[in-house]
Amino acid sequence: MATVDLIGIKKAFGPSVALADFSLSIASGELVCLLGPSGCGKTTALRILAGFERPDAGQVVVEGRDLSNDPPEKRQFGMVFQDYSLFPNMTARENIDFGLKVQKRPAAERTQIIDRMIEVTALQEHADKYPHQMSGGQKQRVALARAIATSPKVLLLDEPLSALDAKVRETLRDEIRRLQLEIGVTTVFVTHDQHEALAIADRVGVMSNGRLEQLAPPRELYENPANAFVASFIGTVNKMPAAGLDDGRWQVLGRAVPGSRPATGGSSDIAAIRPEQVAVDPAEDGPAVVESVSFLGPITRVIVDDEGHGRVFADIISADAAGLSPSQRVRLRLRDDVADVVLIGE
Amino acid sequence: MSVGVKRYRVGAILKYVFLVAVGAYFIVPMLAMARFAFQAVPMALLTPEKLFSGWSFSGLGTALTDPEILSAAKNSLMLVVLAIILNLVLLVPLAIVTEVRNPGLRPYLTAFTLLPWVIPPIALVVGVAATFRATVPWFLASIFSLVPFYALWAMPFTYRALDAGLQAINARTLYEAARSMGASLGTIIFKVLLPNMRASMVAASALTAAMVLGEFVFASLLLKRTLPTEMVNYQRGDPRGGLALALFVMVLTALAIGLVVRSLRRRGLNVQTTGL
Repeated sequence: MATVDLIGIKKAFGPSVALADFSLSIASGELVCLLGPSGCGKTTALRILAGFERPDAGQVVVEGRDLSNDPPEKRQFGMVFQDYSLFPNMTARENIDFGLKVQKRPAAERTQIIDRMIEVTALQEHADKYPHQMSGGQKQRVALARAIATSPKVLLLDEPLSALDAKVRETLRDEIRRLQLEIGVTTVFVTHDQHEALAIADRVGVMSNGRLEQLAPPRELYENPANAFVASFIGTVNKMPAAGLDDGRWQVLGRAVPGSRPATGGSSDIAAIRPEQVAVDPAEDGPAVVESVSFLGPITRVIVDDEGHGRVFADIISADAAGLSPSQRVRLRLRDDVADVVLIGE
Repeated sequence: MSVGVKRYRVGAILKYVFLVAVGAYFIVPMLAMARFAFQAVPMALLTPEKLFSGWSFSGLGTALTDPEILSAAKNSLMLVVLAIILNLVLLVPLAIVTEVRNPGLRPYLTAFTLLPWVIPPIALVVGVAATFRATVPWFLASIFSLVPFYALWAMPFTYRALDAGLQAINARTLYEAARSMGASLGTIIFKVLLPNMRASMVAASALTAAMVLGEFVFASLLLKRTLPTEMVNYQRGDPRGGLALALFVMVLTALAIGLVVRSLRRRGLNVQTTGL
C-alpha cells in the first residue's frame, strides 16, 4: 500500500494544454476515480503517474519518494488498459505469470500466486485459454489478475470497462472494488462514466480543461458541487435563479431557504437544484406545463416547461406521480424536506 | 419487381461481370502461354480446334534438368534466403522501435520505404554499384552483391507487412503493459512482440521471396546469373521450354505462398492484415 501525490503537474502537447497545475493526494489503500469529459486530461494524469509521459513540470511522489524521473518498469505499478492488452501468444495463466517471471519469483511461489489470482477472479475454467478464446469480460478479468499478481504499490485502471457491454460492466465494476478492498491496493481509476465513478470510488476527482475541479467523496460531490461544471457534470441539475433576502436566506422556487453562503438583500445567484428536490403540484392556473412523464420504476421523471425557469426536471416517487400527464398545468415548488440549497454562481 | 429488388439484381450481375472480366484479364494470357509452352503445335496452328492435340511436358522436363538452370535456381534460392534475412534484420527492429517509441515517425517512414520504387532500378544500380566498386570491388563481383539491392527493392512490401502486423496486435499497448510489469526492452521484444509478429514476418518473407524469384533488371544490369536471367537466356534457345519453365516457377511460387497462408490460418494467425 502506498500514498500517491501528484504535485503541480503541468503537461502540454504542442499548443494544447493537457494538465494545468494539477495536484492530487491519494491516501494509502484509497480508490480515487478521475472523472471528466473527453480531453479533460484524466488519461494524461494517469499516464504521467504510470511513467508513460513525462510532466513538463511538477512531481510524482509515491510513499514519499519522488518517482518523476523513474521509467514505468521501475515504478512497480500495475496497470489495466481499456483494450485489455493481453499478450495474444500466452494463455490466461501465462499472462498472469509474465510479471512474476520478470520479478524472478521462485516457481513454487509463482504457481501459488497464479492459482490464487485465478481463484479470486473466478477464471478457473479459462486459465488455459488464449485471449482470442475469451469474452471481453473474461479478458479484462485476466488483465486485472495480471496487474495485481505482482503486488503493485499502486493499481492504475485506464477506462477498463469502456469496451464491455452494460451488464458485464456492472458486474466487473463491483468485482474490481471487491478485489481492491480485499488486497487494499491504492488505486486510480480513470473513467468518463459518472455512475461507475460514484459507485466504486472512495473519492472522485472531477476534471475539466486539465484542472481538478473538485475532489470529494461521491455523496459530497453530488450534494455539494463546488461549481457549475461539477453540478452539471454529476447527475442532472436544474439551474434555478436564487434571490437574496435580508435575513441571509435565498428565495428559490417560491421558498426561502439557507444557501451554501449567506445572502444579502437584493443579491442574486444560481442555485443547483436536483430533480429529486423539486415537487410538482397539479394546478389549473399553474405557470408551468408538463412536457413529458417517463416511468423509470421506483421513480418517475417529469419534464416541465416553466415560465420563469425554462425546462425543469423533477424526479417523483412513482406512486405520487400517477396523476400527472403531458400538457397538464402544474406549479413547481421546492420539496419541504430540502433544508438548504447549493449556490453555483451566476 | 420493386425498384429496390431490381437494383439489387443489377448490382449482383455487375459484380460477376467485373469478376469474370478481371479473371479473364489475368487467366487468358496464362492459358495462351500454357498452350504455347506445352502444345507441340506450330504457333500459327494453335486454333481452338487444336485445343486437345499435341500436349507434352518434355520441354519443361528438359529445362528442369538443364545444369545452367539448376545452378541459377540455386543462386536465386540463396538470394531469397539472404534477402529475407537482411530485410528482417533491418526492418523488424526499425518497425518495432518506430511503433512503440516514436509513433510520430510512422508517416515519414512509410513514405521513406516507398523510395526504392520511386528511383528507377538503373539509377539505383549505377549509384550503388559505383559506391561498391570504389569501396568493396570484390563484393560487386560476387553474386551476393544482389542481396542489398533485393532487400532494398522488397522494402516497401516488407515494411508494410510488418507495420500492418504491429498495428493488428496493438503493439504499443502491449509494450506499455509489459513495461508496467517491469519488463526490459529485450524481454518485451523477444517474449511479447516477436512471437506475435510471426504472421507478418512470414508474410513479409513470402513477398520478398516472390519478388526475388521474379526480379530480372538488377541481375541483368549487374551481369549476374539468377533464375530469371537464365530463363531469358534459355528461352532464346528453346522458346517453348523457356516459357514452360516460367509458368512452372510462377505456379510453384503461388503454391508456396498459398501453403504459407494456409499454415498461418491453421495456427489461428491473422493473414488479412499482413498483405497476403
